[in-house]
Order: sequence, then structure tokens, then C-alpha cells
Amino acid sequence: MTTTAAASLRKDAADRRPPFRRVLVANRGEIAVRIIRACHELGVEAVAVFSDADATAEHVRVADDAVRLGPPPAAESYLRIDAILDAAARSGAEAIHPGYGFLAERAEFARAVEDAGLAFVGPGSATIAALGDKLAARRGAAAAGVPIVPGTLEPASVERPDEVAAIVAEAERVGFPLLVKAAAGGGGRGMRRVLAAHELPAALAAGSAEARSAFGDGSVYLEREIRPARHVEVQLIGDSDGRVVALGERDCSLQRRHQKLVEESPAPGLDPDLRREIHAAAVRAAEAARLVNAATVEFLLDPDGRFWFLEVNTRLQVEHGVTELVSGVDIVREQLWIAAGRPLSAETLAAAERAVVPVRHAIEVRISAEDPARGFAPAPGRIGRWEMPSGPGVRVDTGVGAGDRVPPDYDPLVAKLMVVDTDREAATARLARALDETVVTGIQTTLPFHRFVARHAGFLAGDLSIDWVAQEWDGAVEADRRVALTAATWAAATSVAGGPVARLAPEADDRSRSAWSRDGRTRAVNRWPR
Amino acid sequence: MTSRLRVAPTRASALPTDRPVVIAPDDPGEIDLEPFGDGRVVVHGADGVDRWARLGHARRLPDGRSVIEVVVDGWRFELELEDDARATLRERATRAPDATAATGPLEVRAAIPGRVASVGVVAGDEIAAGSTILVVEAMKMQNELRAPRAGRVQRVVVGAGDTIELGDLLAVIA
Repeated sequence: MTTTAAASLRKDAADRRPPFRRVLVANRGEIAVRIIRACHELGVEAVAVFSDADATAEHVRVADDAVRLGPPPAAESYLRIDAILDAAARSGAEAIHPGYGFLAERAEFARAVEDAGLAFVGPGSATIAALGDKLAARRGAAAAGVPIVPGTLEPASVERPDEVAAIVAEAERVGFPLLVKAAAGGGGRGMRRVLAAHELPAALAAGSAEARSAFGDGSVYLEREIRPARHVEVQLIGDSDGRVVALGERDCSLQRRHQKLVEESPAPGLDPDLRREIHAAAVRAAEAARLVNAATVEFLLDPDGRFWFLEVNTRLQVEHGVTELVSGVDIVREQLWIAAGRPLSAETLAAAERAVVPVRHAIEVRISAEDPARGFAPAPGRIGRWEMPSGPGVRVDTGVGAGDRVPPDYDPLVAKLMVVDTDREAATARLARALDETVVTGIQTTLPFHRFVARHAGFLAGDLSIDWVAQEWDGAVEADRRVALTAATWAAATSVAGGPVARLAPEADDRSRSAWSRDGRTRAVNRWPR
Repeated sequence: MTSRLRVAPTRASALPTDRPVVIAPDDPGEIDLEPFGDGRVVVHGADGVDRWARLGHARRLPDGRSVIEVVVDGWRFELELEDDARATLRERATRAPDATAATGPLEVRAAIPGRVASVGVVAGDEIAAGSTILVVEAMKMQNELRAPRAGRVQRVVVGAGDTIELGDLLAVIA
């Protein structure tokens, strides 16, 4: 062994020392499982927390230790800062990973973790607070030279009749249609679409009232509506040395009511120059906010290739996996190292160098317990069969299995199916193949929608827009379901003994079947179902 | 025995536009089926597409209908299955209350199959709407059969201990 190799091995040994001894994962479901996996790969013990609805859930089963938080409602369990800090203290955790949702973007939670002397695995509380105020984030981005969606930068006056003329004049300058948005906003709450000036006062009042009840802050502002548009976001990661890099962008245009359904990376159709430009803009916005750890900058992209800053999400995103598949970086592992004070790894820096010219394409579909025939209404229940796909280039992140109950108390996401391949065409074919392997019974899921997407000519052509679901799916869903219902009706008839259709007996002699069922056997050997 | 089978999504599973489908024996149809075991069925569709159907949980309702879960292309259905002739009888029986406005004799028919546990009226009784005529035991459950309207009991056709089928005549109210 050469001296260099020996030195390198010694360095590797030091690298292998875990970032923490014990980490508490303040979340549930698939993201808790995903974080626990990263902990275990790093030699870190993982502590799960759970509500009474999750006492035997997958994230509890795979953790090294688990602490009960309280009854099922999130406000009495996963949103209780005191209970989570208490669980961390009792279990001896040195750090807390918030996942996404719940407390992930609550600055007061990050501050409480910091004040308790623990590491918060995510951006610091000051950054979360600064970027959580959408108006402050817009001002910061604009000051950093990042194009922002045209609109206002200060809270709109809602209750002063004498200022109506001023706000209407401002709205005329922004242009109609425009959106009233909540400064503390998220998930479309407090948002109102305004088509003409006379609608503005009522929209401001309604949006403000909704924002106050949802976020405790009624501040609203105006933003021009960019339509048609795509939702493109940039994955960032930064260290405490002040270095921030982009690991690539994701197109998340397929949404319904501001909930993403399909995400992919790279965003289709961007040339390297535009990609470089949008990555650089995201890095500038994050540097201005002194970002440390992982965050995502969201943009709208119009058909002319112009992009506008929307907001920054100061947390691990649901869809981080597609970036992992394209970049080769394990973002959660990197988050843990950065939270332990390490600089960005050599792998991350190298991946950032490659991010402008990606050589792989990844797509994720969010399989949720929702009914696509009823406007994606939640469909909780107990899972029967649970057959997830596998094979080359397939990754499934989930926190449930056969026989598990999907409780009505939380987000309906049950699994993220991801595929990766050399280019988009191969990735979409792989997605269709993986979806064919996927079977879930017991609950209705969004799988019919994903199957539709994976074979849709417009989607295959990369023709994406935030209105895609309304334009392509809403008119097609009934016919799609009807075809399946017809097939299901005939299949059900096979279950009746002595019924008009041959019984389920694959081993039975062919003479026991009706003529057309025999014909089916002959054809089945030549035509395999998709 | 092969007979016509009526299949329809359950109330919980159905959309307002769904209608029952009747499948006839040896219906040449345009759909071919190929069982693969373990609840798997390949449906060779009229559209030339082959689909996997997965049969899931099955149960029997107190009135004798069976319900089975079927998932095709990610769509989940709960389908009620019933012999079509039986379904017609059952519907006639359950539609009887529509006759409340009529003045002529009202035939009271069995809405569920089972065994008559007790009979509470005899011919000639004057009864009020909603009063119990008889009790039917089905799947260990006692089901009270109530008068759909007031009137005089003209005749009672069954007695305690009798086994009744769906749609059987039980009593006539004048």
C-alpha cells in the first residue's frame, strides 16, 4: 500500500465518524422513515416520535427509540414544540430533524431547538423567520438582483377607505389579473384572484381575513398572475462557511390546488444558459438570506423563458429525492453533516459543477390516499394489498405497508414513486412500467392519475403548465374511470360460484370454462396486459 | 346453474352517473377474462387493451347480496353482486312503500331472505302505519317488518318458523 493510499484511508476513517450520536426525527410517515434511513447509514441512532394514531407505524418500527407525543390531532402531537423538546431531552438526542410540514418552517421551533443547545437540522431560526415572511423574501431577492414576480413589496392597506385609490392605482401598475397573497402564506391560503379593479377591495379584505385566521397575520400583498407558467424550483444547499451551491432544478408544474402531484429533474426544455442563469439567481437569493443547510427557491417560468422568484422553502422538500437521483448526492446525509458543522462535501461541490448539464433524468409521482374521481378528496382507510415496483432505476419512499391504516389526521401522501434513467424519454417509459407493477387495494389512491400522466402525449412531449391538471385531467377522469369500472364489473363476475362467468380457477380444466373464456386463455399467452 | 348477474358499485363507491350492469350467461360479449389465481384476472377489453383486475376483500350483506372489492388501473371499486331475478324481486319488495298513496290492497313482500321469527298480527287486525307486522331473522339479526301504511290486515301468508325468500308474499293489507 502506498503512503498516499494509507493517508487517504486514515482520512476515510475520520470521515466515517458519525455526525451525531443520536438524532430525533420530529415527523412521521415516509419522510421520517427516509431520515431514519440516512441516520442509520451514518451510524447515528434515530429517535422517532409518534401520536396515538401512529403507535405501530413504520417510522416507529424502524427507529432505535420512540417517544409518544400525544393524541392523534397534530395540534396535540406533532405540532407540540414542548413535547418534542422533552422527547429529545429524555432520549438524549443531540439534534432534531424536522422533515417537511408540521414544525419544519416554524422559526420559533428552530429557535427553541437552538436554545435547548441542540442542533437543528435545517436553516437557522433567523433565516427561517426572514424567508417565512414572503414580503421580506421578495425584498431580499429583489435587492440581490433576482427578478421577482411584479407586484408590491409592502403590506397592502386593507382597512383604510382613504387609501383605496392608492392601492387601486398600484394594482393598475401591477396589471390584471393579479393575485392577493398572504405575507405569512403558503398552500394558497389567503390567496385571491382579482380580474378587475372593482373587485380589489373585497379581495383584499377576504384574503386578509383568511390569512389572519390561518397564520395569525393578516398582511397581504399584490402579485401579477403569470399565466401560462411552469413551476420550476432550485435545490440549494449551503454550509456555515457561507458557501451555497445549486444541485439542480425541478419542474413541479403538475399541481392541484397548490399541491404538487408530479415532479421531475431536470426541468424539460431548459437550455444550459437558462439553467445556469436560474441556478445563479437562486444562489444569490439564498446568499442574501445567509442560508445554511438545505432550502429550495421557487420560480415561475413563462413560455418565453423568463423566470420570476416566488419564494424560498427553508426545509427539505417532499420532492428532494428526484434531485438525489440526478445529482448522486444524498441530501439528508449532507444536511446532517452540515448541521454537525462540516463544510459542503467534495461530492456535493462536484455535483453542483455538473448540475447545469445533467446526464440523468428523474421523475417522482406522489401516491396519495385521495380519490381523483372526487376532486382528489382524502380517502383514508386500511390498506389491503401493497405491491410496490422495483427493478432498475426505481426508488420508493414510503412509511406504510399492507394492513396499515392511513389515518385521517395527517397528509394523505402514502408513497413517493421515483424513477431515474439516462434521459426523459427513457425515464417516462420507466415510470409507466413501474406504475404497471404498482398495486394498492383497500384505499383509493392517486394511481389512476399518475397512469394517465405517464402515457399522456403532452406530458411525454414535456408540455407542462401549472394548469395542466385542470386542462388535461379534469375532462378525462370520468371516461378513464368508466373503462376501469367496466373491466372491474366483469372481473367481479368471476367471483360468483355458478354465475354467468367462469369461476376463478386457473388450474381448472379448460372444459370448465365458457367458450369465450377459453378464447381468452389463448390470447393471454400472446398479449400480456400492461 | 348459470343465471343473469347484476353488478353495481356500492353506494359508497359509486358516482352519481354509475348504473348497474347485467351480465348474461354465455354472453359472447366483447370482453374476455383470464383468471390467474390469487385474485388476479386479466380482462381483455373491447378496446383492445388488456388490464389486470385485482379482487380484494369480499363480504356478504344481510340481504344476501355479496360485495367484492376490485381494483383496475388504480381505480378501486366496491361492487355489489346479485342474481338479476332476485334483484328484481328485492326491488319490487322495497318499492312497496311507494304504494302508500294507493287505496287498494297492499302486498307486503320480503325485503330480505331469512326465517320468520314471529308474526305480530292476524287477519282482521286494524293496524297503524309503522306498526310491526312480523320479525324476520337473517344472519342472526332480528329485522322488524313494519306496515308501510295504516289499514286492516286482509290475510297473513306466513307463520313463525317459515323460511322466506326475497320477494315472497308475506301479508296483504286492505
